Amino acid sequence: MDDLILELKKQIIEVLNLEDVKPEDIDDDAPLFGEGLGLDSIDALELIVLMEKNYGIKLKDPNQGKEIFKSVKVMADYIKNNRTK
Amino acid sequence: MSEPILITGAGIVCAIGLDKTEVLHALLSEQTGIKPLKYLKTTHKEFPVGEVKLSDEEMATKLGIASDAPTTRTSLMGMMALEEALTEARLNRHDRESNNVAFVSGTTVGGMDKSEQYYNDFLANDSRNAYIATHDCGSCTEMIADHFGGFSVITSISTACSSAANAIITGANMIQAGITDMVVAGGSECITKFHLNGFNSLMILDQNNCRPFDATRAGLNLGEGAAYIVLESASSAAKRGVRPLATLSGYGNACDAYHQTASSPDGEGAFRAMEEALAMASLQPDNIQYINAHGTGTPNNDQSESAAMRRLFGNAMPFVSSTKSFTGHTTSASGSIETVICLLAMKHRFCPVNLNWQNADDECVVPVHQKLSDIALHHVLCNSFGFGGNDSSLLLSDINL
Amino acid sequence: MIIRRWIKLTDTSVSLNGKKIETESCGHALLTHLYRERNDYPKFFKMDALSKLGFIATELLLHDESQRFQPRGDRAVIFIGKSGSLADDTNYQKTIADKDNYFPSPSVFVYTLPNIVTGEVAIRNKYYGETCFHVIDELRADKIADIISDAFQDADTTSVVGGWLECSDEEHFEAYLFIVEASADGQAPEWNKDTIREIINNN
Repeated sequence: MDDLILELKKQIIEVLNLEDVKPEDIDDDAPLFGEGLGLDSIDALELIVLMEKNYGIKLKDPNQGKEIFKSVKVMADYIKNNRTK
Repeated sequence: MSEPILITGAGIVCAIGLDKTEVLHALLSEQTGIKPLKYLKTTHKEFPVGEVKLSDEEMATKLGIASDAPTTRTSLMGMMALEEALTEARLNRHDRESNNVAFVSGTTVGGMDKSEQYYNDFLANDSRNAYIATHDCGSCTEMIADHFGGFSVITSISTACSSAANAIITGANMIQAGITDMVVAGGSECITKFHLNGFNSLMILDQNNCRPFDATRAGLNLGEGAAYIVLESASSAAKRGVRPLATLSGYGNACDAYHQTASSPDGEGAFRAMEEALAMASLQPDNIQYINAHGTGTPNNDQSESAAMRRLFGNAMPFVSSTKSFTGHTTSASGSIETVICLLAMKHRFCPVNLNWQNADDECVVPVHQKLSDIALHHVLCNSFGFGGNDSSLLLSDINL
Repeated sequence: MIIRRWIKLTDTSVSLNGKKIETESCGHALLTHLYRERNDYPKFFKMDALSKLGFIATELLLHDESQRFQPRGDRAVIFIGKSGSLADDTNYQKTIADKDNYFPSPSVFVYTLPNIVTGEVAIRNKYYGETCFHVIDELRADKIADIISDAFQDADTTSVVGGWLECSDEEHFEAYLFIVEASADGQAPEWNKDTIREIINNN
């Protein structure tokens, strides 16, 4: 699980162009949206693409993202339980 | 404004008709043009769209263009709409040349329908080069203009979904600046796989027919088409003895300055654009009878635009409808397509219905959802908002005032 | 109309009001290097090359303007270019080119419009006025002069930030941007095609 969390942090930094952020800067339980990394609606859509591309999970409704992307830990749990890749 | 700017000709091609007569008929009989995908060669058949009901070959035949001449769908639709506008304004080639008539056209995809189709051929064996040359915005605008000839200035505006509205504003500014007495302005855009997929990646397309301002709305349907209007100074129209259709009595363009693609919750850009149009025309909110809303059917736009309208109109809310429920969202051409629809509404004294509306949303205005005819529309606003927060509003007025 | 300030920013050089700014990097690295000097807007890294160019050029142009960041509706943002968003369009096309590895990127798609850069400048500086992007066939001082002069037809517009903004790919770009104002000012150069041509030719 720790490996997945680290891998996920690196992927998030890369696909969202978070140039000055290192994996160790992202707290596992910190909110991804609003506070913390301050991600926006387009970032949420890119995370949806990331889920499908890297883990084979297809989200049809953008509103599902609100729950799944609460934090890196929540996202990793969801991936662990639903990944097809 | 120094001298009134008149509209002396209009032409339109869209999902509900190939000219003003057909479009009017569809609006009055509440027949939508949004149907399953037919002409675009894509696997994404799950999205209903507002396609123009002719293939490229059929359009070329109508225009008398050889079937092997390289053209693009954007250019073909543009030529059809331009022909209708020039005919109504009685502007033949000689008239255009002797009056220094300019042509301003809005587009984003240009000839991309062809370049995306033939790109691999081009890479593989350098064939289909002609379609790479017709790819860009400027070359499509030139093809449309050159089919008729005689224009003094030809230019393209590319500001996403407000392009055609901004082309009209630019044309009006050119007349105000004394550069010319006549500008033909509008826009043209065809559906391409590039932007169908792009809008899909933003998850703002609806797999059902769009429902602007409805509480259950879930996104937009893409559309395509072209429309142009002839803008003319009052003195020029008088000299030529042409009867104007309406006056462009005001316009505004403002930036929402909020997000690249989303609209602000209080609709700041939309509010400022409409307010500016009213101020230019020296009118008050309660002088407006009808607003043709941008009304894409996305949760975000319709809430934001409603907030802006409520801030500006308060209790004096005019009739509002989105005709994207008929045509789909025609992106760069929407500003001029919807302007021509407004001209039809004013001439024939009706408010176009906002199709598919059933459920009131507290955060949205209640649009016109039943037949509303025999109504005098003295002043009408036409809204077009583009990504980048580029918000435009055009104010059309009855010439008999 | 007068030119309050101007900047030339290309993939190899930077000049502000005729004064060359020494740089070692070029292309994409030059823009990143210029950003790092202030380093106060992380959204920079999400932008496409055209928006980065417009953003950095306007940052340098506006950096010590008094009352900067006060919301205003009287300043228009008007860019003129030949390729529009072509560089980003190409990047987006790559995400849908292979039907077996088909992942259209929403954040790349967002920038496949030439006027998003006007939005970025407006968001950064709180400009609520007019914004526009014009596509013309080549760099022409006379067209640039006319397009921006026309913007002052709007009764509310007293100032324009704009000019030539051209990006053919991540490494090759050129910008000639100006702050143009309606006020007359004996000292400042006049806004017309000859002044613009001279700036372009001599820098």
